[in-house]
Amino acid sequence: MEAGPSSSAAASPPPPPPPAIPTSHQGVWADASPLLATACRDLQDGELVHGENFSLFAAMSALEIMDPKMDSGVERSGYNSIEEAIEDGVAPIPLSLDMTLDVQRSIDVMDHLLSCEATWHKGHTLAQTVFTCIYLMRMERTSSHAVLNSFCRILRATCYAVISVVSTARTHEEEDLFTMSFGLPLRDEGDEKCLSILNSVEETISRQLRACKAPALSKKKTLEGLESLQDNPELEEDYCRALLCRLRFRKHFYHVVTCMRKPQGRGLELAKKHVASCLTELRLMLKSQEFLKCQSNIMLQQGDENCTTASGCQPVGFDASLNSRLLSPTPPRAVKVLSWSDAIRYFEKLLHDLDIICASSLDPVLENVLQFIVQFQKSVPDLVSRAFLQTLLVQDGKLYGQNLFSDVISRALSLPDIIGDKEFQRNEFVVQLGQLVTNLLKILCTNTAWQRRKLGKSLQDWSTISIQLELALKREFGETRDVMHHENMCMRVSKQLLIWTQEHAYWVASRFLTLGFELDLYSPGEYCMVYWYMYVVFTKLIEKMQLRVLASSETSRRKGKKKKDHSKDSARDTTFPSSCLLLQCYVFLSEGLSMMLAVLRNESRSFQLPSIFNTEQERFMQHFDLLLKARVPEHISYYSFKESSSRAGISDLVNYNFFKEIQKILPSLRGSFASEPEKLAELRRIEQVAEHNRIALNIISLVGAGDPSLRVSFEFTHHPHFAVAVVKRS
Amino acid sequence: MSAAVGCGASSSLSRGGGRADEGGEIAYVSYGGEQHLPLVMSLVDAELSEPYSIFTYRYFVYLWPQLTFLAFDAKDGKCVGTVVCKMGEHRGAFRGYIAMLVVLKPYRGRGIATELVTRSIRVMMESGCEEVTLEAEVTNKGALALYGRLGFIRAKRLYRYYLNGVDAFRLKLLFPRPDPGLPPMMTGSERDDQQMDSPYL
Repeated sequence: MEAGPSSSAAASPPPPPPPAIPTSHQGVWADASPLLATACRDLQDGELVHGENFSLFAAMSALEIMDPKMDSGVERSGYNSIEEAIEDGVAPIPLSLDMTLDVQRSIDVMDHLLSCEATWHKGHTLAQTVFTCIYLMRMERTSSHAVLNSFCRILRATCYAVISVVSTARTHEEEDLFTMSFGLPLRDEGDEKCLSILNSVEETISRQLRACKAPALSKKKTLEGLESLQDNPELEEDYCRALLCRLRFRKHFYHVVTCMRKPQGRGLELAKKHVASCLTELRLMLKSQEFLKCQSNIMLQQGDENCTTASGCQPVGFDASLNSRLLSPTPPRAVKVLSWSDAIRYFEKLLHDLDIICASSLDPVLENVLQFIVQFQKSVPDLVSRAFLQTLLVQDGKLYGQNLFSDVISRALSLPDIIGDKEFQRNEFVVQLGQLVTNLLKILCTNTAWQRRKLGKSLQDWSTISIQLELALKREFGETRDVMHHENMCMRVSKQLLIWTQEHAYWVASRFLTLGFELDLYSPGEYCMVYWYMYVVFTKLIEKMQLRVLASSETSRRKGKKKKDHSKDSARDTTFPSSCLLLQCYVFLSEGLSMMLAVLRNESRSFQLPSIFNTEQERFMQHFDLLLKARVPEHISYYSFKESSSRAGISDLVNYNFFKEIQKILPSLRGSFASEPEKLAELRRIEQVAEHNRIALNIISLVGAGDPSLRVSFEFTHHPHFAVAVVKRS
Repeated sequence: MSAAVGCGASSSLSRGGGRADEGGEIAYVSYGGEQHLPLVMSLVDAELSEPYSIFTYRYFVYLWPQLTFLAFDAKDGKCVGTVVCKMGEHRGAFRGYIAMLVVLKPYRGRGIATELVTRSIRVMMESGCEEVTLEAEVTNKGALALYGRLGFIRAKRLYRYYLNGVDAFRLKLLFPRPDPGLPPMMTGSERDDQQMDSPYL
């Protein structure tokens, strides 16, 4: 044992010696207590004795007790237990003996809970957010308070349902705080009835509201047994409305969560309606704010951005530090509960994201599914909606719980004949590829930081399968290259499967590279190599896509011959899908930008990366390590980049103006995407980038790329992945 | 290392990192023993967001004292900056790790952080490290610029890495290999002997 510095070991009198352990061939046992006691006396505070395996993790797992930065159990509230807080009157039932105040305070509790719920969704623990509410922690106490009870009950049931979606999806590898429940009372026997309990409370209040609206009747009705919420008849209607929209929001949100979990997307249509209702209720909640603020008589000093309630009042019944002892032994994470208006905005965004999912047509064409997820991710959805998307996409190992992934693949190969074919389904490659596609869909639903890392790692799997497929193809069918005329079905399937696999490896690579821009992983000095690599990958992607289309049109042509029916689309042989043409735009943008940067490097020595410890080559190898290892594509090295970039000169770039080329393609693309607003928006972005860069290029060539007064910078003002050159002269 | 116990490296030093002489002499000292530990701890505690226990500091300075440096203002002997690091095997590579880097605010912009970290990296390189890594908050523009100039790339983004909920970048510096002509991923290939007529390039 190595005696190193560290923590104090209390020097207490040595315990009685243990019974002697018999001597073994490995050594003699001796009592080391006196030695340890002596050593302890030498240890100062903050020293420790450790073995060789003492790791950074072990060191960092140590927490200093009573240090508020580290000890999450350090006492701050003054209460040692919930019971103590309750006894002290922190969470009274009713919330006030004054009925008006009671309603007011109940609404504050609801509002603060909404802010807590949004804060939880945004990545904090349930214990430090929603469950800081003592009413929720001891729900049985609220049974005499129907309004609060019904609200808390459905909220708790919703939390439980949301946790279940997120745990099922497991998209939360780095977001695992979300599902930790620390033994909180998340579930209770009565919770299945939460809807009926809420409905009856809602019914009572809405009857009361109707009574208010018919003033002539209201007094009579009240006498007839309708209970008013509070004592001031003037305020009754507004309080009814404020409560109703909050309760109804909860009801519809609960429906959204449960409908979206229905197998095979069967509840999506209904969920969509509830999403719309939720949004309506959120608007009504916002509308109620004016009245609530007015009643609270509080001069708002902090402004809306810090208030966690509509009224601006501090809610009763919460204690932020009571649960801190439940948390795992890590330093406390700072929790700042979102303001009520931010919480409303969060839920609006969440509901819009869920709405997009609900609008899914359950399209089984993989290309469209991938496109759908990528488009969905553009608005940077939070964990909860991403989890819903993933649980919709992959259920019971099938796409939407409906389509076997082997069928999804055969559809992508344009081989309708083999859909449902048992031999194809059982094929070892198809099984593996099905697994890869499943993983790909799941990965695409994760946060972009995690997603990029997983995509990078998965490239190796795609590449391994392509290599194995290629080998198998060669083994089975020999060396002959030109066998199109007499190849059999099996060979055709294998070939198409290979092309399809390679295509997807390039698709994954392209997403990996472009996500780097969204995550801000590239510095301007690296743009040249990144765009060069993107150009290479997009080019290969187009090539594979075209090969796949050619192969499948070949298949259909043959089939056509057989069936004597080639009237359908004989032109198909030569037309490629517009997605190929769109990719061509990306190729031009990447190549153009890479060349422009290379010219600037060569002629003005800007955008270079001098460093004392390494060279550009090391940066290249690090950035593209995963692609190079997976051979995506093969035979690419730093030297390929160096060779093409070092030759770049301004005259070539002006002669072959990539940005002009894009402008030639765009009109026809616009026609084919006429019915797809998202694609049209993308075309507009591309056009902007191309136009700005075309002009920038002209200026650079007029001034001369080597002109010392030239200042060029790159900005992502028009497209998240493709920069626009900004030219200035100093 | 999990996000909950992440190490932070920080420095707001920026622009014109090479002006070490401006505004008085700075003396750079390698970690010299117990007397330096409180200096290191108080600097880091004051300037970095993550809390570290004394064992974390001891872990670093006792195992790799040669990688910890302190900067003193020669005028009054005040400790104004420090860097704390480690090195060891990581997934088959010998790797250096910069755990903490701090320079007091009034002393920033004079190249002190660059000098501190350069000294540590040099020792790592001489000790046979193949690469150096660290994490920095995505919002810490000064640190990102400093490491960028030294040849670090932003290899990954780590979602909500710090206790304060901020994302981190994992920064990496790869040292040149002995034979730069043959990157390791291109050699020893299991496919080289197959002479396949590749459909690629």
